[in-house]
Amino acid sequence: MEKYPHIFSPGRIGGLETKNRIKYAATETNFPFSDGFVSDREVAYMEAQAKGGAAIVTTQGAYPDKRGEGKGFRGMMAIWDDRFIPGLARIADVIKKNGALSCVQILHCGREGGVDLDYCLMPSIVPQKLSYFKPPREITKEEIKASLKDHIEAAKRAKAAGFDMIEISGIVGYLISTFISRYTNKRNDEYGGDIRNRCRLMTEVLQGIKAETGNMPVGIRLCGHELLDDRGGNTIEESIESFRIAEEAGADYVSVTIGWHESSQSVITRDVPMGYWLPVAEKVRKNVAIPVMMAFRQFTPDIPERAIAGAMIDFWEMCRPMIADPELPRKVAEKREDEIMPCIACNLCFSRLYYHQPIMCSVRPTVGREKEPEWGYYGFQKSSRKKRVAIVGGGPSGLQCGVVAAKRGHEVVLFEKNSVTGGNINLASLVDEGAVELLGPIRTLEKECRKMGVTMRLGEECAPDTIKAGAFDTAVIATGATVRQFPVAGNATFLTPSDIMAKGRKPGERVAIIGGSGAGLGVAIFLLRQGDYRITIIEESGKIGRDVNPFYLWQYVRLTKARKAVFLMNTGVERIGEGIVHLTGKGTNIVEADSVVTAVLEAEKKWRDPGIAGEVYFTGDAKRPRRFNNAIHDGYRLGMVI
Amino acid sequence: MVPRIDAELCIGCKRCIEVCPPQTIYIKDEKAIVDPEFCEECGFCAAECPVNAILIEFPSSMNT
Repeated sequence: MEKYPHIFSPGRIGGLETKNRIKYAATETNFPFSDGFVSDREVAYMEAQAKGGAAIVTTQGAYPDKRGEGKGFRGMMAIWDDRFIPGLARIADVIKKNGALSCVQILHCGREGGVDLDYCLMPSIVPQKLSYFKPPREITKEEIKASLKDHIEAAKRAKAAGFDMIEISGIVGYLISTFISRYTNKRNDEYGGDIRNRCRLMTEVLQGIKAETGNMPVGIRLCGHELLDDRGGNTIEESIESFRIAEEAGADYVSVTIGWHESSQSVITRDVPMGYWLPVAEKVRKNVAIPVMMAFRQFTPDIPERAIAGAMIDFWEMCRPMIADPELPRKVAEKREDEIMPCIACNLCFSRLYYHQPIMCSVRPTVGREKEPEWGYYGFQKSSRKKRVAIVGGGPSGLQCGVVAAKRGHEVVLFEKNSVTGGNINLASLVDEGAVELLGPIRTLEKECRKMGVTMRLGEECAPDTIKAGAFDTAVIATGATVRQFPVAGNATFLTPSDIMAKGRKPGERVAIIGGSGAGLGVAIFLLRQGDYRITIIEESGKIGRDVNPFYLWQYVRLTKARKAVFLMNTGVERIGEGIVHLTGKGTNIVEADSVVTAVLEAEKKWRDPGIAGEVYFTGDAKRPRRFNNAIHDGYRLGMVI
Repeated sequence: MVPRIDAELCIGCKRCIEVCPPQTIYIKDEKAIVDPEFCEECGFCAAECPVNAILIEFPSSMNT
């Protein structure tokens, strides 16, 4: 009996039949070259997506204009000239060869465009809220006509490159969405005014493309809910109307998205429950007769299965879950769900785009390296010499290193002093709602270790002598970070994050937290969820949470400030006294507190004896305290070279 | 891409050091230097630099 009968039933888009209801959604990567040509890395990445088992695989958005006003990312794919067709055709080929329908997205980034220029184009001048973006210039009517022509010419090239389908993007602040939104369209001509006029550019693009490309299906991504109510954005009724107008203009499917990049509300972070946005898609589906799709926080198949069964959507779209594991659709189909490497919604991929870097994934170090044999995406070559490898510590870094080392043929023994794996991720998973998702990759890695024959010695304290006695060729120290010891006066004491979060120690009302990076902020959030603590965070640098992803940092800062937490920046700690912390720095020189928590992490100092094994390596926080992604990537890279 | 620091433009203000998540930028002779071993290629330093001395250089298809 099929567990997910709706997901794996055939679907239909225009005249095309789809083998199931899964679509890999358009995802910018920054892998293409700066001049818009497709790179080998991009092809390798897309090939992995095509092999994963989705019915439809969408390319990243390609910008359609020569001037680059539509270009929103330095390494964005281009489709503004025939010379890009051969590269685009490589992607279409690699998708089709692997049994999926190929869909190319045409994307003019509008308000988020002009990445190489000193302006961006918009229907009206509405100042940018986010500093990454360029100052807006109002698009002229001639330029609108030119852009329409650009979109149509791009569609012809898509057809020439051999794609099965075309998708237009009109979301989050991209050109078409800025016309549709009341927030950014203040025009007095026929492209402004009521929702129908604001949809004119979209309508002309869809009609123009449909007229040129015959029976090729053309879909569009639109915003179902802009979340711009505080800035005069569209009402939900207007947004729904835009989908109806798209259908009227000939769209063969619609994809419903949520929020703009400048919306001041969480949309895709872990605090948003899975499937939270589906009711918006359902509303659209009630208003159109064409297939409706949605991505957005549907990371596990039970959510879209119910949504398709319940007529909320017709297709399950995914970006991030398939960056983390392109094989996700196949693993679901083959009842191997527990082998999926789950996305943790950390949005490292996303934030990297806005800092002009190629995407990276916390839990899949092979992103963009699928065709480089040493990275082992399609399997590792066995090491020429089989080694006995001891890994000390079963956190993310140790587990990941164990998986890779074992895949390369080494005999691996992993020691973990606790009875469960995960290390400090067990603490991180308690910080707030949704943080429990951080344990997903730990479970998958542990299972993979066991499957690969790694000897798991849990609940076993391991000392340097244990390793020495074991006659190992290689020792990997993955013991995590330790808390920095500050000088303590008299009988004063302090607590650690583990004391509070794992051991249930209750601090007094006034809590001084030393260290304002991720660990210290995490303790603050944890405590503020438990009660009305008066928190002071003491940070020696001038930046709070510098190691926290921007997608989460703003939430944490907002929450801590709303609860009246005090931040003492550029402030060091001289010593911890009884009920008091003595400070160094220009400002206040003491903080009175009922409890002091030290959350400044330091690299492991034990285990420095190079004689415990033939070769000794440090990985993850034991090497230098950083974040989850570093632990995983360190472990992976180390596993590759042992 | 690991950022490249243009030493002629760098004013040694240390703002990049402040925002660097793995703390892998240091000052030598009043100029910022990235230690590539711990660089996560996050790009925060380049976004923070007040004089655009930190460059993230995308390869062009012409150079390959």
